Amino acid sequence: MARKELGESFRDRQTLLYTFVLPLCMYPAMFWVMVQGVLVVQGQKQARDVTVGVVAAAETAEAARAQLAVDEEGKGRIEIVALPPDTSQQAEVIADMIEAEEADALLFLPEGRSDAAPAALFFDSTSSQSETARGRVIAALERWTEELRHEAADARDIDPEALEPILVQTRKINPRKDEGALMLSLLLPMLLVVMCVLGAFFPAVDLTAGEKERQTAETTLLLPIPRLGMHLGKIFAVCATSMIATTLNLLALGLSAGHLLGQLAGLGDGAPKVELPIGALISIAPLAALFAFFVSAVLTGVASLAASFKEGQALLGPVQMLFMLPAMATNLPGMELTATTALIPVVNVSLAFRGLLVGSASAGPLVTCVLSLTATAVLAIWFSVRLLSSEEVSLSSETIPLARLFRILRSR
Amino acid sequence: MTDSTSDSAIRAEGLAKTFHDPQRGVVEAVKGVDLDCRKGEIFGLLGPNGAGKTTTLRMLSTILAPTSGRALIDGIDVAEDPLEVRRRLGFLSGSTGLYPRLTGRETLRYFGRLHGLEGEDLEAAIARAFDAFDLHSFGDGRCEALSTGQKQRVSIARAVLHDPPVLILDEPTTGLDIMASSDMIQFIDSRREAGTCVLFSTHILSEAERLCDRIGIVYDGRMLAGGSLDELRAITGKEWLEEIFRELVQRADTGEGAA
Repeated sequence: MARKELGESFRDRQTLLYTFVLPLCMYPAMFWVMVQGVLVVQGQKQARDVTVGVVAAAETAEAARAQLAVDEEGKGRIEIVALPPDTSQQAEVIADMIEAEEADALLFLPEGRSDAAPAALFFDSTSSQSETARGRVIAALERWTEELRHEAADARDIDPEALEPILVQTRKINPRKDEGALMLSLLLPMLLVVMCVLGAFFPAVDLTAGEKERQTAETTLLLPIPRLGMHLGKIFAVCATSMIATTLNLLALGLSAGHLLGQLAGLGDGAPKVELPIGALISIAPLAALFAFFVSAVLTGVASLAASFKEGQALLGPVQMLFMLPAMATNLPGMELTATTALIPVVNVSLAFRGLLVGSASAGPLVTCVLSLTATAVLAIWFSVRLLSSEEVSLSSETIPLARLFRILRSR
Repeated sequence: MTDSTSDSAIRAEGLAKTFHDPQRGVVEAVKGVDLDCRKGEIFGLLGPNGAGKTTTLRMLSTILAPTSGRALIDGIDVAEDPLEVRRRLGFLSGSTGLYPRLTGRETLRYFGRLHGLEGEDLEAAIARAFDAFDLHSFGDGRCEALSTGQKQRVSIARAVLHDPPVLILDEPTTGLDIMASSDMIQFIDSRREAGTCVLFSTHILSEAERLCDRIGIVYDGRMLAGGSLDELRAITGKEWLEEIFRELVQRADTGEGAA
């Protein structure tokens, strides 16, 4: 029964498209668009011309022009506008100047050494152009500062580093791979839940409401197999589809994320290296299978209330959110798998996935999570079988409102 | 409870079905139907739409559980051993109920396997069905792509693949064109010689008149009368089935008893 239902599901274009093809194409496409977007935005920022107003004495202003307005390959120009030394440092005045496009940022340079008065750079953080100007000026000032330091050191015939009493160099001790693992531990648990639900969505509708629409429900009820086996066969088929879809999705995600995020590595400090933690994923497989069973039973049961494929989709829309929202909530700060959270359906699985991925899950809450999930899966199977066994549900030509759900579950 | 010694292939006693309808409240779809169909007999349930024919057939074929009463198929109680009843039953409806994404051959293989046929026996049964119902030209195509007549032939082949002693057909010619309808009538007729008990529902008088050994007139959830055409003539004093039907319905509406 399950094999036949699974085979039939794989022949349904809609199930194939939405459960397998679309997610498989979606991740590479999503990451490609994301990476290309970042690259384009970065490139555009670099190529942009900016105007910087320099407020300083004439000699200093000229020196600033020489240092800042240097043509660099692949980068836009920094145009320097010399402003009178008495230009106000009031934020409102400067904001008006930036708004009037007189300058994208204003640099106030003191006379002589910087310990007399600090240099001040004014910019508008809400303006992309002004932000770009700030970045370009800071980078140029760092180069200028370095040059001045070397000149001063040379004049005194000392090491330039001696002119910097505390030289700070920050170095990451973790490999980029660990950053990727951290990112995955935040993303993967939620994605696993979402993939599981989306993988079960279409087959659940197809094998219940779709069957009524195709007028084959009566044929199935006449099969010489026990009704319990019949209904479990449907749930098994939905669960199998969900697990296959989740596995394919993970592969697509791992391959596309790893490859495309690698392209970002050349920008800034480099993007995190994303690799699917295969060992950890294998360790969460039994839990994922149990969760897929739970999801499949719930979705199959609810979809059986619908009389047509379209109505089935409409019924399952809010139900899938009941799975996705708690999974998203597990990304809130401080959420961990504890004795309490291990009892909350969906939240427990999502947190357990994360704990297993980063290796922080402790045995007690994990056992509680497995027991809780098993109990909810059994309850969901009972719920689903109860509905599928109901004559009112299995042969109804109309979608049964949720208000009648409890009466059906209570009826003999 | 089983009773396999009698000549009765289908027997129903006081079979009733009550539904709860949210709009209409409690609906008595079938109000105590008695029925006795013998082996090798073709029995027609004749009645207008909504008379309770389909509900009766669904109870006999274990799709619905009776609210009260009892039914035996080939001596097996439908409530006590529905699985065994389904093994001894072939069921067919006008909508065919074929799985659209399976081919005709896959459909027969699936049903044959569930009915306990395996290996060479299964393939031999499928080959016989392909020959008997001339499925060769379209039997390996998906059912969704078949014409109504072709679907009906696959559906018949599916219903008799396991050679059931009882066939229940729910308005089997509804929606069929003339040729497909004629094929179906021939098929029903042929089962008589095979010793199969055929119970079918229809609202087409000529079909019932031509095919049935006995006819049951169903109206408003009740069996108004049952018997051979001659027996029905004797009960009503009318010659033609249409007149017989009208007479019995009129008596039921005015509260006069029927035989």
